[in-house]
Amino acid sequence: MRTPLLYISFGLIVLISAIAGCKKDDSEPTAPFDRRAMLVNYGQNIIIPAVGIADASTAQLNTAVTAFTASPNETTLAAAHSAWQQAYLDFMKVNSFNFGPGGEAGLSKSITEEVATWPANTALIETNIAAGNSALNDFNRDNRGFHALDYLLFAEDAAATLAAFADANRRAYLTAVSNRLANQMSAFNAAWNNGYLAEFIGNTGTDVGSSTSQLYNEFVKSFEALKNFKVALPLGLRAGQTQAEPQLVEARYSALSLACLRAHHEALVDLWYGRNFAGTDGIGWREYIASVDGGDALIASTEAQLAQIDAALNALPDSPSFEAQIDSNFDALNTLHTRLQQHTRFFKSDMSSLLGITITFSSGDGD
Amino acid sequence: MDWRARLSPYLFDSNHIAPLTTFRVVFGALMLFSTLRFMLLGWIEDHYTNPVFHFSYYGFEWVKPFSVDAMYALHVLLCLAAIGVMLGAFYRISAVLVFVLFTYFELIDLTYYLNHYYFVSLVSLLLIFLPAHRYGSIDAWRNPSLRSDHMPAYAINILKFQLGLVYFYAGLAKINSTWLIDAMPLRIWLPAADQLPVLGPFFAWDYAPWVFSWAGMLYDVSIPFLLLWRKTRVMAYLAVVGFHAVTGWLFQIGVFPLVMIGATLIFFSEEWHLRLWKPLIHPSQTEKKETAIRWPSALATVIGVYCLFQLLFPWRFVLYPGNLFWTEEGYRFGWRVMLMEKAGTATFYVRDGMDGREGVVFNDDFLNPHQEKQMAMQPDMIVQFAHFLGEHFRQGGMSDPRVRAEVYVTLNGAPSKLLFSDTLNLLTVTDGWAPKTWLYAHE
Repeated sequence: MRTPLLYISFGLIVLISAIAGCKKDDSEPTAPFDRRAMLVNYGQNIIIPAVGIADASTAQLNTAVTAFTASPNETTLAAAHSAWQQAYLDFMKVNSFNFGPGGEAGLSKSITEEVATWPANTALIETNIAAGNSALNDFNRDNRGFHALDYLLFAEDAAATLAAFADANRRAYLTAVSNRLANQMSAFNAAWNNGYLAEFIGNTGTDVGSSTSQLYNEFVKSFEALKNFKVALPLGLRAGQTQAEPQLVEARYSALSLACLRAHHEALVDLWYGRNFAGTDGIGWREYIASVDGGDALIASTEAQLAQIDAALNALPDSPSFEAQIDSNFDALNTLHTRLQQHTRFFKSDMSSLLGITITFSSGDGD
Repeated sequence: MDWRARLSPYLFDSNHIAPLTTFRVVFGALMLFSTLRFMLLGWIEDHYTNPVFHFSYYGFEWVKPFSVDAMYALHVLLCLAAIGVMLGAFYRISAVLVFVLFTYFELIDLTYYLNHYYFVSLVSLLLIFLPAHRYGSIDAWRNPSLRSDHMPAYAINILKFQLGLVYFYAGLAKINSTWLIDAMPLRIWLPAADQLPVLGPFFAWDYAPWVFSWAGMLYDVSIPFLLLWRKTRVMAYLAVVGFHAVTGWLFQIGVFPLVMIGATLIFFSEEWHLRLWKPLIHPSQTEKKETAIRWPSALATVIGVYCLFQLLFPWRFVLYPGNLFWTEEGYRFGWRVMLMEKAGTATFYVRDGMDGREGVVFNDDFLNPHQEKQMAMQPDMIVQFAHFLGEHFRQGGMSDPRVRAEVYVTLNGAPSKLLFSDTLNLLTVTDGWAPKTWLYAHE
């Protein structure tokens, strides 16, 4: 009896496979997607160079800050300004990599939270300076990092800034913040280059903790952070806000907000395509999605919406600043937010569902 | 013979107790293991005490978590109770504690609903009333008057019924064109697992989803019968082990495979179980003695009602219009496991009824990633969250808040679609047993 049952089951399976086979014949044969090749492209061609560049420009920023504190004058200040701008724009290219060496570990938060939390706590910074306390040995993240430098270097005009830096305490605090930032970026870069890259490429699954899952999860979180904290929040669009809060824009003092927004968005689009800093397009999410049934439809809707976002971003004039445009050009910014919101589902649920990527750690329903 | 006479042997024939003893030990051990695992993974904080908001089971809105310390204490108590069940020590109180504590934990947040948690709750409820401590237990060792090595057949058959039903209904649920003809969602899930050693290359094969879909369905509907029948039992049990090993390896489903591999041992004969226990148990404890039944007809009625409920409740979905997978009305408590790949993105907008100002909700202000993910595709949870938001912003000083949501859901890889109108004020919707007529139809 057990033999006939086996035969019946097997026969049914063969039959159905044959039916399915006939159905599939008119479509092109699907080759299994090589996730390892995608991880090689992301790790070797995109992340390693981007992290290296962000580290190098942060080191240059530190050099410029050292030159400025050694001799505060208009030239060294201007050099520090442009070094800061370059370093922060380069950081936009790595702020989606909050996993592995950039992930939370023990008491330290993700690399983005560690070095790019805003708004800067200016009161605390001034208190620390007045007290001559530049040890940075508390657990705050809003009194240090890029945005503390944004405040210290850009908040006043050149004359007032130079006057303020006559204070040795202020110079010491600036140096401490800059050193710490450079060290953190240097450690981030070193970790990727000393072993993590191989680990990243070798973990080819789609389960929680796999490279694909982590890269995807942080990609989506980065997109949502852009939409929520760089756009919705300063515009006053978060439920419970009663008015716009332009002072909450990113990189407020340097007025680099709009350039940051564009750079961040561009970094996300590059990740979607699997494009490196030189513009070379490799295997990325787009190719992964194209390899599965129904992928072409999702690619079409995703890219149509990305074009809408691009259009909304390009429609914004370079000046006045983003902060000023919240008042003067609100509707255009609101349109940008709406288009980002409309895009969310493509990245957040359609993509992971189609690819079968597991994101949360809790046990699923089992059969 | 009338049907009563036919049923009577399945309830009242004298059986050896050994299979129940095995079941008790295995179940207690797995409860202990899974509770320890839960604590060590830090899930008490993640699931119960960190979230700002919990989704309630309908009718159980009063169930709330206690403080972290109290929750840890209760989990330690559950561990002790599980040890009690395993060893048969203070059995009744241990079994009651296992049922009450485990079910309490599950009732705290609906987003953690799993069919196998429901299964564990049902089994621990049954164990309270079964004489599983009369043989091979600390209680029987300490108290000779408890000792008994035979008992009426219902005590084992009710567990076989419950287990068989889980498989059989899970199999019936797979008999639909999406699962069998489209091989969805396995066409999404299997290629995603193609890096697994040994089986991985096979998962990448074009026809693997069809093979696994059909094999899974055939396995589920037939395994209860193959386990019941002596001639196929060993082969069937090997299939159980193989099947759950593969699914456990393939999917992130926690201890569920172990639970099923352990629980299905109950199908083996009393001789088989006796071989396990005889060497361990002192002959003085195995005096032949029957566990008496005090109220046979009352017992038969209670068992009948329980079984009838289990048989019928999963079918309530036929009373609802629309696509079950889309509306999920009558979806839970029906052994529909791993049936669909579904996900959503839910964006909530809160409008001040006085000044008309509308804001978008950052979901992660209130929900953890798991809660958000589950909520974003399940209508009753969406309504609960909307009502929570309304109340939250009312307390925050907003007058007459309105809450609407833009919810896009993708089912089995299809392009996402709106689940319901994005202009509907969800505060005007109350959740209940009535059909959710506010949902858009699927296709």
